[in-house]
Amino acid sequence: MIAIRGLRKAFGGLRVLQGVDLDIGDGEVVALIGRSGCGKTTLLRCINFLEEYDAGEIRLDNTPLWYREAPGGGRQRVSEAEARRQRQQMGIVFQQYNLFPHMTVLDNVLLGPRFSQRVSAVEADHLGRRLLARVGLEGKMSAYPAQLSGGQQQRVAIARALAMRPKVLLLDEITSALDPELVGEVEDVIRSLLSERIMMVIVTHALRFAREVAHRIAYLSDGAIVELGSPAEVLDRPKDPSLKEFLRHVR
Amino acid sequence: MIPPGSLALLAQGAAVSLLLAAAAIVGGTVLAIVLAAAAFSRIAAVRALYRVYVYIVRGTPLLVLALLLFYAMPALDLRTGPYIAGTLVLIIYTGALFAEVFRGGVLSIPRPQWESARSLGLPPVAMFRKIVAPLVTRYTLPPYVNVCVMTVKASSVLSIISVWELTLAAREIIERTFAVFTILGLAAAFYFVMCFGIDRLGRRVERRLALRGFAGERA
Repeated sequence: MIAIRGLRKAFGGLRVLQGVDLDIGDGEVVALIGRSGCGKTTLLRCINFLEEYDAGEIRLDNTPLWYREAPGGGRQRVSEAEARRQRQQMGIVFQQYNLFPHMTVLDNVLLGPRFSQRVSAVEADHLGRRLLARVGLEGKMSAYPAQLSGGQQQRVAIARALAMRPKVLLLDEITSALDPELVGEVEDVIRSLLSERIMMVIVTHALRFAREVAHRIAYLSDGAIVELGSPAEVLDRPKDPSLKEFLRHVR
Repeated sequence: MIPPGSLALLAQGAAVSLLLAAAAIVGGTVLAIVLAAAAFSRIAAVRALYRVYVYIVRGTPLLVLALLLFYAMPALDLRTGPYIAGTLVLIIYTGALFAEVFRGGVLSIPRPQWESARSLGLPPVAMFRKIVAPLVTRYTLPPYVNVCVMTVKASSVLSIISVWELTLAAREIIERTFAVFTILGLAAAFYFVMCFGIDRLGRRVERRLALRGFAGERA
Protein backbone atom coordinates (compact mmCIF):
# COMPACT_ATOMS: atom_id res chain seq x y z
CA MET A 1 0.00 0.00 0.00
CA ILE A 2 0.94 3.62 -0.43
CA ALA A 3 0.65 6.18 2.33
CA ILE A 4 1.06 9.86 1.50
CA ARG A 5 1.25 12.32 4.38
CA GLY A 6 1.42 16.09 4.40
CA LEU A 7 2.81 16.42 0.88
CA ARG A 8 3.79 19.98 0.00
CA LYS A 9 5.26 21.28 -3.19
CA ALA A 10 5.78 24.79 -4.55
CA PHE A 11 7.11 25.97 -7.89
CA GLY A 12 8.75 29.21 -6.86
CA GLY A 13 6.05 31.14 -5.09
CA LEU A 14 3.25 29.02 -6.52
CA ARG A 15 2.07 26.49 -3.95
CA VAL A 16 0.85 23.55 -5.99
CA LEU A 17 0.41 20.97 -3.25
CA GLN A 18 -0.56 22.20 0.18
CA GLY A 19 -0.57 19.19 2.43
CA VAL A 20 -1.94 16.15 0.65
CA ASP A 21 -2.83 13.00 2.64
CA LEU A 22 -3.86 9.90 0.75
CA ASP A 23 -3.79 6.15 1.34
CA ILE A 24 -3.98 3.65 -1.46
CA GLY A 25 -4.65 0.09 -0.39
CA ASP A 26 -3.29 -3.03 -2.06
CA GLY A 27 -5.16 -3.63 -5.28
CA GLU A 28 -6.94 -0.33 -5.00
CA VAL A 29 -7.60 2.01 -7.91
CA VAL A 30 -7.81 5.69 -7.02
CA ALA A 31 -8.74 8.36 -9.53
CA LEU A 32 -7.58 11.95 -9.06
CA ILE A 33 -9.89 14.54 -10.55
CA GLY A 34 -10.03 18.32 -10.46
CA ARG A 35 -9.61 21.46 -12.52
CA SER A 36 -6.47 21.89 -14.55
CA GLY A 37 -3.85 23.39 -12.29
CA CYS A 38 -5.29 21.83 -9.15
CA GLY A 39 -2.14 19.79 -8.58
CA LYS A 40 -3.28 16.30 -9.57
CA THR A 41 -0.54 15.70 -12.14
CA THR A 42 2.08 17.16 -9.80
CA LEU A 43 0.90 14.79 -7.07
CA LEU A 44 1.28 11.84 -9.43
CA ARG A 45 4.76 12.97 -10.47
CA CYS A 46 5.81 13.37 -6.85
CA ILE A 47 4.84 9.76 -6.15
CA ASN A 48 7.59 8.46 -8.45
CA PHE A 49 9.89 11.42 -7.78
CA LEU A 50 9.83 13.01 -11.20
CA GLU A 51 9.18 16.05 -9.03
CA GLU A 52 10.93 16.69 -5.78
CA TYR A 53 8.62 17.78 -2.98
CA ASP A 54 9.26 20.27 -0.24
CA ALA A 55 7.74 18.47 2.71
CA GLY A 56 5.78 15.39 3.59
CA GLU A 57 6.28 11.69 3.25
CA ILE A 58 5.45 8.93 0.82
CA ARG A 59 5.63 5.33 1.97
CA LEU A 60 5.31 2.21 -0.15
CA ASP A 61 4.56 -0.93 1.86
CA ASN A 62 5.68 0.98 4.93
CA THR A 63 9.10 1.92 3.49
CA PRO A 64 9.69 5.64 3.15
CA LEU A 65 10.56 6.68 -0.41
CA TRP A 66 12.89 9.27 -1.94
CA TYR A 67 14.12 10.99 1.23
CA ARG A 68 15.67 9.82 4.44
CA GLU A 69 16.51 11.54 7.66
CA ALA A 70 19.75 13.47 7.47
CA PRO A 71 22.32 12.89 10.22
CA GLY A 72 22.07 16.48 11.45
CA GLY A 73 18.25 16.53 11.39
CA GLY A 74 16.05 17.40 8.45
CA ARG A 75 15.98 15.19 5.39
CA GLN A 76 18.15 14.35 2.44
CA ARG A 77 17.53 12.67 -0.89
CA VAL A 78 18.31 9.00 -1.13
CA SER A 79 21.22 8.14 -3.41
CA GLU A 80 20.63 8.01 -7.17
CA ALA A 81 21.07 4.24 -7.11
CA GLU A 82 18.48 3.90 -4.35
CA ALA A 83 16.08 6.21 -6.21
CA ARG A 84 16.46 4.00 -9.29
CA ARG A 85 15.64 0.91 -7.25
CA GLN A 86 12.59 2.59 -5.76
CA ARG A 87 11.39 3.78 -9.17
CA GLN A 88 11.42 0.23 -10.47
CA GLN A 89 8.50 -0.53 -8.17
CA MET A 90 6.33 1.90 -10.10
CA GLY A 91 5.29 2.25 -13.68
CA ILE A 92 4.12 5.53 -15.15
CA VAL A 93 2.24 6.17 -18.37
CA PHE A 94 2.25 9.70 -19.73
CA GLN A 95 -0.32 11.70 -21.65
CA GLN A 96 1.96 11.90 -24.71
CA TYR A 97 3.09 8.21 -24.59
CA ASN A 98 6.80 9.23 -24.67
CA LEU A 99 8.02 6.07 -26.32
CA PHE A 100 11.65 6.03 -27.44
CA PRO A 101 11.43 6.87 -31.16
CA HIS A 102 14.64 5.09 -32.18
CA MET A 103 13.64 1.70 -30.81
CA THR A 104 11.18 -0.88 -31.98
CA VAL A 105 8.05 -1.46 -29.97
CA LEU A 106 9.52 -4.63 -28.47
CA ASP A 107 12.78 -2.89 -27.51
CA ASN A 108 10.83 -0.13 -25.83
CA VAL A 109 9.12 -2.71 -23.64
CA LEU A 110 12.32 -4.70 -22.99
CA LEU A 111 14.47 -1.76 -22.00
CA GLY A 112 13.49 -1.55 -18.33
CA PRO A 113 13.64 -5.27 -17.51
CA ARG A 114 16.81 -5.74 -19.51
CA PHE A 115 18.91 -2.83 -18.25
CA SER A 116 17.33 -1.72 -14.97
CA GLN A 117 16.44 -5.12 -13.60
CA ARG A 118 19.16 -7.11 -15.39
CA VAL A 119 16.76 -9.77 -16.58
CA SER A 120 18.37 -12.14 -19.11
CA ALA A 121 17.86 -11.34 -22.79
CA VAL A 122 15.77 -14.44 -23.38
CA GLU A 123 13.58 -13.90 -20.39
CA ALA A 124 13.10 -10.18 -21.19
CA ASP A 125 12.20 -11.02 -24.78
CA HIS A 126 9.65 -13.52 -23.55
CA LEU A 127 8.16 -11.04 -21.11
CA GLY A 128 8.02 -8.33 -23.79
CA ARG A 129 6.23 -10.55 -26.26
CA ARG A 130 3.74 -11.68 -23.66
CA LEU A 131 2.94 -8.13 -22.57
CA LEU A 132 2.56 -6.90 -26.14
CA ALA A 133 0.19 -9.76 -26.87
CA ARG A 134 -1.70 -8.77 -23.80
CA VAL A 135 -2.26 -5.22 -25.05
CA GLY A 136 -3.20 -6.62 -28.46
CA LEU A 137 -0.05 -5.61 -30.34
CA GLU A 138 1.69 -8.92 -31.00
CA GLY A 139 1.72 -8.01 -34.69
CA LYS A 140 3.55 -4.71 -34.15
CA MET A 141 6.63 -5.78 -32.22
CA SER A 142 9.15 -4.73 -34.81
CA ALA A 143 7.33 -1.53 -35.77
CA TYR A 144 8.67 1.86 -34.67
CA PRO A 145 6.54 4.14 -32.46
CA ALA A 146 5.93 6.74 -35.17
CA GLN A 147 4.43 4.03 -37.38
CA LEU A 148 1.65 3.42 -34.85
CA SER A 149 -1.56 5.25 -34.05
CA GLY A 150 -1.78 7.18 -30.79
CA GLY A 151 -3.89 4.44 -29.24
CA GLN A 152 -1.38 1.78 -30.20
CA GLN A 153 1.52 3.86 -28.87
CA GLN A 154 -0.27 4.33 -25.60
CA ARG A 155 -0.86 0.58 -25.32
CA VAL A 156 2.87 0.04 -25.87
CA ALA A 157 3.54 2.60 -23.13
CA ILE A 158 1.31 0.61 -20.77
CA ALA A 159 3.15 -2.60 -21.67
CA ARG A 160 6.45 -0.82 -21.06
CA ALA A 161 5.29 0.28 -17.62
CA LEU A 162 4.01 -3.21 -16.77
CA ALA A 163 7.26 -4.83 -17.88
CA MET A 164 8.90 -3.67 -14.66
CA ARG A 165 6.32 -5.75 -12.74
CA PRO A 166 5.48 -2.66 -10.72
CA LYS A 167 3.51 -2.58 -7.49
CA VAL A 168 1.85 0.65 -8.61
CA LEU A 169 0.76 1.95 -11.97
CA LEU A 170 0.58 5.74 -12.33
CA LEU A 171 -1.54 6.92 -15.24
CA ASP A 172 -1.34 10.58 -16.19
CA GLU A 173 -4.31 11.55 -18.39
CA ILE A 174 -3.48 8.68 -20.67
CA THR A 175 -6.42 9.16 -23.01
CA SER A 176 -6.40 12.97 -23.20
CA ALA A 177 -4.19 13.18 -26.28
CA LEU A 178 -6.07 10.51 -28.23
CA ASP A 179 -8.63 10.84 -30.97
CA PRO A 180 -12.03 9.93 -29.51
CA GLU A 181 -12.30 6.69 -31.47
CA LEU A 182 -9.00 5.46 -29.99
CA VAL A 183 -9.88 6.07 -26.35
CA GLY A 184 -11.80 2.81 -26.02
CA GLU A 185 -8.89 0.50 -26.88
CA VAL A 186 -6.66 2.10 -24.23
CA GLU A 187 -9.41 2.04 -21.61
CA ASP A 188 -10.00 -1.63 -22.40
CA VAL A 189 -6.38 -2.42 -21.54
CA ILE A 190 -6.76 -0.70 -18.17
CA ARG A 191 -10.02 -2.56 -17.53
CA SER A 192 -8.26 -5.84 -18.24
CA LEU A 193 -5.73 -5.01 -15.50
CA LEU A 194 -8.34 -4.66 -12.78
CA SER A 195 -8.35 -8.40 -12.10
CA GLU A 196 -4.58 -8.28 -11.42
CA ARG A 197 -5.21 -6.23 -8.30
CA ILE A 198 -2.35 -3.90 -9.07
CA MET A 199 -2.50 -0.51 -7.35
CA MET A 200 -3.36 2.30 -9.72
CA VAL A 201 -3.44 6.04 -9.42
CA ILE A 202 -5.28 7.56 -12.35
CA VAL A 203 -5.26 11.24 -13.17
CA THR A 204 -8.14 11.78 -15.53
CA HIS A 205 -10.77 14.09 -16.93
CA ALA A 206 -12.87 11.14 -18.09
CA LEU A 207 -15.32 10.96 -15.20
CA ARG A 208 -17.30 8.16 -16.81
CA PHE A 209 -14.16 6.02 -16.89
CA ALA A 210 -13.16 7.02 -13.35
CA ARG A 211 -16.61 6.00 -12.08
CA GLU A 212 -16.29 2.64 -13.78
CA VAL A 213 -12.78 1.57 -12.74
CA ALA A 214 -11.92 3.49 -9.57
CA HIS A 215 -12.66 2.18 -6.10
CA ARG A 216 -12.33 5.71 -4.79
CA ILE A 217 -12.17 9.15 -6.34
CA ALA A 218 -10.22 12.06 -4.86
CA TYR A 219 -11.20 15.57 -5.85
CA LEU A 220 -8.33 18.04 -5.62
CA SER A 221 -8.71 21.75 -5.42
CA ASP A 222 -5.95 24.30 -4.79
CA GLY A 223 -3.42 21.62 -4.00
CA ALA A 224 -5.42 19.68 -1.43
CA ILE A 225 -7.84 16.76 -1.47
CA VAL A 226 -11.16 18.30 -0.55
CA GLU A 227 -13.35 15.29 -1.18
CA LEU A 228 -12.56 11.60 -1.17
CA GLY A 229 -14.94 8.68 -1.42
CA SER A 230 -16.58 6.09 -3.60
CA PRO A 231 -17.46 7.19 -7.15
CA ALA A 232 -21.12 7.41 -6.17
CA GLU A 233 -20.34 9.59 -3.15
CA VAL A 234 -18.05 11.97 -4.99
CA LEU A 235 -19.80 12.16 -8.36
CA ASP A 236 -23.46 11.79 -7.37
CA ARG A 237 -23.61 13.28 -3.90
CA PRO A 238 -20.86 15.92 -3.84
CA LYS A 239 -20.72 18.06 -0.70
CA ASP A 240 -18.04 20.61 -1.50
CA PRO A 241 -19.40 23.62 -3.44
CA SER A 242 -16.39 23.82 -5.77
CA LEU A 243 -16.77 20.12 -6.62
CA LYS A 244 -20.47 20.67 -7.41
CA GLU A 245 -19.46 23.54 -9.64
CA PHE A 246 -16.73 21.43 -11.30
CA LEU A 247 -19.12 18.56 -12.01
CA ARG A 248 -21.69 20.93 -13.51
CA HIS A 249 -19.06 22.21 -15.94
CA VAL A 250 -17.67 18.83 -16.89
CA ARG A 251 -21.01 17.24 -17.64
CA MET B 1 49.31 21.80 -69.61
CA ILE B 2 49.67 19.91 -66.32
CA PRO B 3 53.34 19.72 -65.30
CA PRO B 4 54.45 16.07 -65.45
CA GLY B 5 54.42 14.18 -62.16
CA SER B 6 52.46 16.86 -60.38
CA LEU B 7 49.18 14.90 -60.31
CA ALA B 8 50.79 12.01 -58.45
CA LEU B 9 52.37 14.40 -55.95
CA LEU B 10 49.07 16.17 -55.38
CA ALA B 11 47.32 12.84 -54.90
CA GLN B 12 49.91 11.88 -52.28
CA GLY B 13 49.40 15.22 -50.58
CA ALA B 14 45.64 14.67 -50.63
CA ALA B 15 46.12 11.26 -49.00
CA VAL B 16 48.12 12.88 -46.18
CA SER B 17 45.44 15.57 -45.78
CA LEU B 18 42.76 12.93 -45.57
CA LEU B 19 44.76 10.99 -42.98
CA LEU B 20 45.29 14.11 -40.88
CA ALA B 21 41.57 14.90 -41.09
CA ALA B 22 40.63 11.31 -40.23
CA ALA B 23 42.89 11.34 -37.16
CA ALA B 24 41.46 14.70 -36.13
CA ILE B 25 37.87 13.52 -36.61
CA VAL B 26 38.38 10.31 -34.60
CA GLY B 27 40.47 11.98 -31.90
CA GLY B 28 38.27 15.07 -31.83
CA THR B 29 35.11 12.97 -31.46
CA VAL B 30 36.50 11.05 -28.50
CA LEU B 31 37.71 14.29 -26.91
CA ALA B 32 34.34 15.91 -27.60
CA ILE B 33 32.41 13.14 -25.86
CA VAL B 34 34.48 13.71 -22.73
CA LEU B 35 34.11 17.49 -23.10
CA ALA B 36 30.34 17.30 -23.63
CA ALA B 37 30.05 15.13 -20.52
CA ALA B 38 31.97 17.84 -18.66
CA ALA B 39 29.54 20.43 -20.01
CA PHE B 40 26.72 18.66 -18.15
CA SER B 41 28.71 17.87 -15.02
CA ARG B 42 27.10 18.37 -11.65
CA ILE B 43 30.24 20.13 -10.50
CA ALA B 44 30.18 23.80 -11.43
CA ALA B 45 33.97 24.03 -11.70
CA VAL B 46 34.00 21.28 -14.35
CA ARG B 47 31.33 23.09 -16.36
CA ALA B 48 33.37 26.29 -16.09
CA LEU B 49 36.48 24.46 -17.35
CA TYR B 50 34.48 23.28 -20.33
CA ARG B 51 33.40 26.80 -21.19
CA VAL B 52 36.94 28.15 -20.84
CA TYR B 53 38.26 25.44 -23.16
CA VAL B 54 35.61 26.07 -25.80
CA TYR B 55 35.93 29.87 -25.62
CA ILE B 56 39.71 29.78 -25.96
CA VAL B 57 39.88 27.24 -28.77
CA ARG B 58 36.94 28.63 -30.68
CA GLY B 59 38.09 32.19 -30.18
CA THR B 60 41.59 31.62 -31.55
CA PRO B 61 42.54 31.18 -35.22
CA LEU B 62 43.67 27.66 -36.05
CA LEU B 63 46.74 29.17 -37.68
CA VAL B 64 47.82 30.83 -34.43
CA LEU B 65 47.10 27.66 -32.43
CA ALA B 66 49.19 25.61 -34.85
CA LEU B 67 52.16 27.98 -34.66
CA LEU B 68 51.85 28.18 -30.89
CA LEU B 69 51.91 24.42 -30.39
CA PHE B 70 54.64 23.93 -32.99
CA TYR B 71 57.00 26.37 -31.26
CA ALA B 72 55.91 25.44 -27.74
CA MET B 73 56.50 21.73 -28.08
CA PRO B 74 60.30 21.81 -28.34
CA ALA B 75 60.33 24.26 -25.45
CA LEU B 76 58.38 21.68 -23.46
CA ASP B 77 61.04 19.21 -24.53
CA LEU B 78 58.61 17.28 -26.67
CA ARG B 79 60.59 16.54 -29.80
CA THR B 80 57.69 15.36 -31.81
CA GLY B 81 57.97 17.07 -35.14
CA PRO B 82 55.32 18.82 -37.18
CA TYR B 83 53.08 15.80 -37.85
CA ILE B 84 52.33 15.04 -34.22
CA ALA B 85 51.99 18.73 -33.39
CA GLY B 86 49.74 19.22 -36.42
CA THR B 87 47.51 16.28 -35.58
CA LEU B 88 47.26 17.38 -31.97
CA VAL B 89 46.29 20.91 -32.86
CA LEU B 90 43.59 19.64 -35.23
CA ILE B 91 42.24 17.34 -32.50
CA ILE B 92 42.19 20.18 -29.98
CA TYR B 93 40.37 22.36 -32.51
CA THR B 94 37.78 19.88 -33.79
CA GLY B 95 37.25 18.61 -30.23
CA ALA B 96 35.88 21.99 -29.22
CA LEU B 97 33.65 22.22 -32.30
CA PHE B 98 32.32 18.66 -31.97
CA ALA B 99 31.74 19.19 -28.25
CA GLU B 100 29.44 22.13 -28.96
CA VAL B 101 27.62 20.04 -31.59
CA PHE B 102 27.10 17.23 -29.07
CA ARG B 103 26.08 19.64 -26.33
CA GLY B 104 23.41 20.99 -28.66
CA GLY B 105 22.28 17.42 -29.34
CA VAL B 106 21.89 16.62 -25.66
CA LEU B 107 19.91 19.83 -25.18
CA SER B 108 17.58 18.75 -28.01
CA ILE B 109 16.50 15.57 -26.24
CA PRO B 110 12.92 16.35 -25.23
CA ARG B 111 12.30 16.45 -21.49
CA PRO B 112 9.66 13.68 -21.67
CA GLN B 113 12.33 11.33 -23.07
CA TRP B 114 14.50 11.95 -20.01
CA GLU B 115 11.50 11.40 -17.76
CA SER B 116 10.56 8.13 -19.45
CA ALA B 117 14.12 6.87 -19.06
CA ARG B 118 14.30 8.00 -15.45
CA SER B 119 10.97 6.44 -14.59
CA LEU B 120 12.30 3.10 -15.83
CA GLY B 121 15.16 3.45 -13.37
CA LEU B 122 17.80 3.08 -16.08
CA PRO B 123 21.35 3.16 -14.71
CA PRO B 124 23.66 5.86 -16.14
CA VAL B 125 25.57 3.60 -18.55
CA ALA B 126 22.39 2.19 -20.10
CA MET B 127 20.90 5.69 -20.17
CA PHE B 128 23.88 6.87 -22.23
CA ARG B 129 24.14 3.83 -24.50
CA LYS B 130 20.47 3.24 -25.15
CA ILE B 131 18.92 6.72 -25.04
CA VAL B 132 21.38 9.62 -25.10
CA ALA B 133 23.93 8.37 -27.63
CA PRO B 134 21.44 7.13 -30.25
CA LEU B 135 19.30 10.25 -30.06
CA VAL B 136 22.24 12.69 -30.03
CA THR B 137 23.79 10.87 -33.02
CA ARG B 138 20.61 11.34 -35.00
CA TYR B 139 20.06 14.95 -33.98
CA THR B 140 23.63 16.04 -34.64
CA LEU B 141 24.60 14.22 -37.80
CA PRO B 142 24.22 17.19 -40.20
CA PRO B 143 26.25 19.65 -38.07
CA TYR B 144 28.72 16.86 -37.26
CA VAL B 145 29.37 16.23 -40.97
CA ASN B 146 29.71 19.97 -41.37
CA VAL B 147 32.61 20.02 -38.91
CA CYS B 148 34.16 16.95 -40.60
CA VAL B 149 34.17 18.73 -43.97
CA MET B 150 35.60 21.82 -42.35
CA THR B 151 38.36 19.73 -40.79
CA VAL B 152 39.55 18.50 -44.17
CA LYS B 153 39.92 22.07 -45.35
CA ALA B 154 41.35 23.29 -42.05
CA SER B 155 44.18 20.74 -42.35
CA SER B 156 45.63 22.98 -45.10
CA VAL B 157 46.65 25.43 -42.37
CA LEU B 158 49.20 22.87 -41.13
CA SER B 159 51.32 23.55 -44.23
CA ILE B 160 52.53 26.61 -42.32
CA ILE B 161 54.29 24.38 -39.77
CA SER B 162 55.83 22.32 -42.58
CA VAL B 163 53.36 19.43 -42.47
CA TRP B 164 53.63 18.05 -45.97
CA GLU B 165 50.07 17.69 -47.17
CA LEU B 166 48.02 18.78 -50.16
CA THR B 167 48.54 22.54 -49.82
CA LEU B 168 52.27 22.27 -49.16
CA ALA B 169 52.63 19.83 -52.06
CA ALA B 170 50.89 22.36 -54.31
CA ARG B 171 53.16 25.17 -53.16
CA GLU B 172 56.28 23.08 -53.80
CA ILE B 173 55.14 22.25 -57.32
CA ILE B 174 54.32 25.88 -57.99
CA GLU B 175 57.79 26.95 -56.87
CA ARG B 176 59.32 24.60 -59.42
CA THR B 177 56.90 25.08 -62.32
CA PHE B 178 55.22 28.48 -61.80
CA ALA B 179 51.95 26.85 -62.97
CA VAL B 180 50.09 28.75 -60.26
CA PHE B 181 46.52 28.52 -61.50
CA THR B 182 46.69 24.98 -62.83
CA ILE B 183 48.16 23.58 -59.64
CA LEU B 184 45.98 25.58 -57.24
CA GLY B 185 42.95 24.67 -59.34
CA LEU B 186 43.89 21.01 -59.11
CA ALA B 187 44.48 21.26 -55.36
CA ALA B 188 41.08 22.88 -54.95
CA ALA B 189 39.54 20.05 -56.99
CA PHE B 190 41.17 17.47 -54.72
CA TYR B 191 39.80 19.23 -51.63
CA PHE B 192 36.39 19.43 -53.23
CA VAL B 193 36.28 15.73 -54.04
CA MET B 194 37.27 14.78 -50.48
CA CYS B 195 34.66 17.08 -48.95
CA PHE B 196 32.02 15.94 -51.39
CA GLY B 197 32.76 12.33 -50.49
CA ILE B 198 32.37 13.03 -46.78
CA ASP B 199 29.12 14.82 -47.48
CA ARG B 200 27.74 11.85 -49.40
CA LEU B 201 28.88 9.44 -46.71
CA GLY B 202 27.14 11.61 -44.12
CA ARG B 203 23.91 11.50 -46.11
CA ARG B 204 24.05 7.75 -46.29
CA VAL B 205 24.53 7.38 -42.56
CA GLU B 206 21.73 9.89 -42.04
CA ARG B 207 19.34 7.84 -44.14
CA ARG B 208 20.31 4.64 -42.39
CA LEU B 209 19.75 6.13 -38.93
CA ALA B 210 16.60 8.06 -39.82
CA LEU B 211 13.86 7.54 -37.27
CA ARG B 212 11.30 5.28 -38.89
CA GLY B 213 7.79 6.35 -39.54
CA PHE B 214 8.24 10.11 -39.50
CA ALA B 215 7.23 12.39 -42.34
CA GLY B 216 10.32 13.62 -44.14
CA GLU B 217 12.06 10.29 -43.63
CA ARG B 218 13.61 10.71 -47.07
CA ALA B 219 14.62 14.34 -46.72
